[in-house]
Amino acid sequence: MHKLKYLRKKVYITCTLIAIFSQYSCTKKINTSQNISIASSGKIESIDPARANTLKAYQLLHALGDTLYELNNEGELIPKLAESKPIISKDKLRIYIKLKKNILFHDGTPFDSSSMKFTIERFQNIGTLNYILNNKIKSIETPSKELLIINLNNPSSSIEGILTSVNLTPISPNFYKDHFDKFLNDNFIGTGKYRLKRFSNEIQTLSPNVSYWSNKTKNNGINFIGYNSSSTLYGAFISKQVDVLLSNSIEDTLRAKLNLLDQKNNLKESESEPIEISFISLRTNKIPLNNINIRLAIAKSLNRQLIRNKISFNLRNSALSLIPLIFKKDNSVSWPDFDPKESIRIFREEGYCDGNIFNLPLTYRSNVPTDKLIAFYWQQSVKAEMKDCFSITINGVESTTIYKNLSKGIYPAVILDWTGTYSDPEAYLSPLLSCDKFIRNNCLKGESVYSGSFWASEKVEKLFKESDNLTGVERLKKLLEIEKRASQSLPYIPIWTSSQKAWSQNYISKPIFNSAGIINMSELVKNEK
Amino acid sequence: MKSNIRNVLNYALIKISLIPLNLWIISSLIFILLRIAPGDPIDAILGSGADDEARELMRFKLGLNQSIQIQYINYLKNLINFNLGDSLSNQEPVMEIISDALPATIELGLFSILIAMLIGFPLGYMGLKNKNKKYDYISRIIGISSYSIPPFWGAMMMQLIFSVILRVLPIGGRMPITGNPHNITGFFILDSILKNDFDAFLGSIYHLALPSFTLGFLLSGIFSRSLRSSLEKSYKSDYVDAAICRGINERNILLNYALPNALIPIFTISGFAIASLAGGALLIEVTFSWPGLALKLQEAILQRDYNLVQGIVIVTSILIISINLLIDIIIAFFDPRINY
Repeated sequence: MHKLKYLRKKVYITCTLIAIFSQYSCTKKINTSQNISIASSGKIESIDPARANTLKAYQLLHALGDTLYELNNEGELIPKLAESKPIISKDKLRIYIKLKKNILFHDGTPFDSSSMKFTIERFQNIGTLNYILNNKIKSIETPSKELLIINLNNPSSSIEGILTSVNLTPISPNFYKDHFDKFLNDNFIGTGKYRLKRFSNEIQTLSPNVSYWSNKTKNNGINFIGYNSSSTLYGAFISKQVDVLLSNSIEDTLRAKLNLLDQKNNLKESESEPIEISFISLRTNKIPLNNINIRLAIAKSLNRQLIRNKISFNLRNSALSLIPLIFKKDNSVSWPDFDPKESIRIFREEGYCDGNIFNLPLTYRSNVPTDKLIAFYWQQSVKAEMKDCFSITINGVESTTIYKNLSKGIYPAVILDWTGTYSDPEAYLSPLLSCDKFIRNNCLKGESVYSGSFWASEKVEKLFKESDNLTGVERLKKLLEIEKRASQSLPYIPIWTSSQKAWSQNYISKPIFNSAGIINMSELVKNEK
Repeated sequence: MKSNIRNVLNYALIKISLIPLNLWIISSLIFILLRIAPGDPIDAILGSGADDEARELMRFKLGLNQSIQIQYINYLKNLINFNLGDSLSNQEPVMEIISDALPATIELGLFSILIAMLIGFPLGYMGLKNKNKKYDYISRIIGISSYSIPPFWGAMMMQLIFSVILRVLPIGGRMPITGNPHNITGFFILDSILKNDFDAFLGSIYHLALPSFTLGFLLSGIFSRSLRSSLEKSYKSDYVDAAICRGINERNILLNYALPNALIPIFTISGFAIASLAGGALLIEVTFSWPGLALKLQEAILQRDYNLVQGIVIVTSILIISINLLIDIIIAFFDPRINY
């Protein structure tokens, strides 16, 4: 009897606790907030434009601030805070930028040429990525509140592209006066459609800027959340704990699942233009990869279709060029495609095959799952098709260590990826191909050393210089010529291009990406569930 | 009794006086190991696209251009002044970063230990009471499976069941998206109580439930197995036999004879468990996006943020040394047989 009483008491207590908890859980499922919740991977260390170097931080800064210009999907410069397109002097050493009037920062102070000057100089001073300016800017003049003059050291055709960089999002000099030489990581005062309401590394809340100078936001605010693992992101989205999932780093198997759900109309999927390029960097300054024929044979052994199909489930695009197609305006194919028979023929010509197997040590970033899979599938494909001539030994090394050792020439072949720091074809060519000091085709100092290829060409350097004095189609032609020369010398082998992806619940409007792979958060609308 | 307390105090004083030496060894080791390890904070900050000039400039800014000896001397000087320096990646004081993350780790750790005890002790006791019966087998299976399940898999299963399928608990994070934590002590549950904010209190519990239950369950096996074996040993001892002969009832034998003696090894094991959680439970923190110390340490290692790694290791070491000392004192206090 006593035991029964005790048991009953326990059951009552347990039921009451479950009832309280489930009541709370159920009420929590109803999202009373009108804010749109966007989840993405990782966290934001800093919201300072001078410090930002991740796509997630760029995404947030794009919502909180405006840049002088933006590039549209046709690659044209569209004025945002600038009144009109920049005017370049005849000697191409001065850029005149007319600014819009009556624009206020979130702290109520006016945006003008001096605030733009403050922003650029601060970025030059402390910006983590300030090397993208690379001593291009000599000085900045502000003859009036609406006119900004940038004096250049040398003519630079890429400066226009740099002016679209989120890192140069104007900030209020008044608010940042104590932070000219140090970062302000957890606050932001810009001119954007949203104001920063709350910031933590994991959650950021944005509220609409009611005094915005142009079209207002279509929603009541944004909650930006970071989760650390792909499975958590996927689970949060599937269980409708978040409205939009924004991530390029989510695993490919989960991307494929989400793609399937999109096809069944269970959610909406959208993607940016492919702007991230994955490639293999070959060390061209040492035997045996200094031999162009060997590089050609290696390039022809890469089965992109297999890699694309098995790893990305056909959701990424095979790449035969270094410049993403969005910047090329045509579908020109330049790199050698998969041709195992031809590859064997070349290896044989070079004295390999029939007992003398050419072995390529291939390094991949062990903390990037797709890199490991690419290395593995390439190794197995080579084993299946050309095992008498060519083999690949794969070796995983953590990315930071790889970056450290690239310029030391430790890796004969290494899988890397690159996204241009600004929207311009040059942002894909210069960081991989340019070289400051070289002897014949061996680069001693310059970007191609930092990318691990050590390849140089006098003609390419000449073309880079010529392109700096050109604009428009003529400039693009020069850049494409550079790419063509690279495709003939093969210091790199492109693998695929990747897009930024976003998935939204059916009650949210479809996210729209701009040309820089950033979604326009202000256009997201929450309909009745 | 008095002399035992004096002995314990002497022992504690010796241990405390050795803390600086311990910390010097640990901090020197971590300093050397970080510099030997491949990778460079400059590459982690700038990526592979920066040129030599940019790298050198950044190295100069962060003080990494100085010789290792000078860096080491500066590091020790700062350490003596309780200054852990600034994070290399975001320039924030390391102490601030740690004081933000530590309460999250402690909160998760404490609740997990509590849950582990609540699951583990009854399981261990019931198993012993029903030796070689159904209950015993169930308790053994749960006990063994709890510490053989890989934490990341266990965490993902919990997420799948409670967040994705049942949708009753949040999948990650420490507070509701719309919630605004009261940051008084950094312990959200305590802060919400101090502020009388019932919504924040429930929100914190609601987010803590899944990670703490997962971690608690994974640790419960240690508690159930240790209680079972200690209690079994106690029940086989002469003093329990004597108590049975004196006709003392079962409940009194358990509470007054068997359990107090069985608790000594459990204290030790609990100490180890708590100490192991002092640095955070990495896989649980990563899976549940719990912003604790282990997650910070992982990120700092990936970014080669020397100062932050050093700071977290030192703080964790202090915690572990303190917890071990506390456990030693408690054991010595309760067990007069132990002579220091």
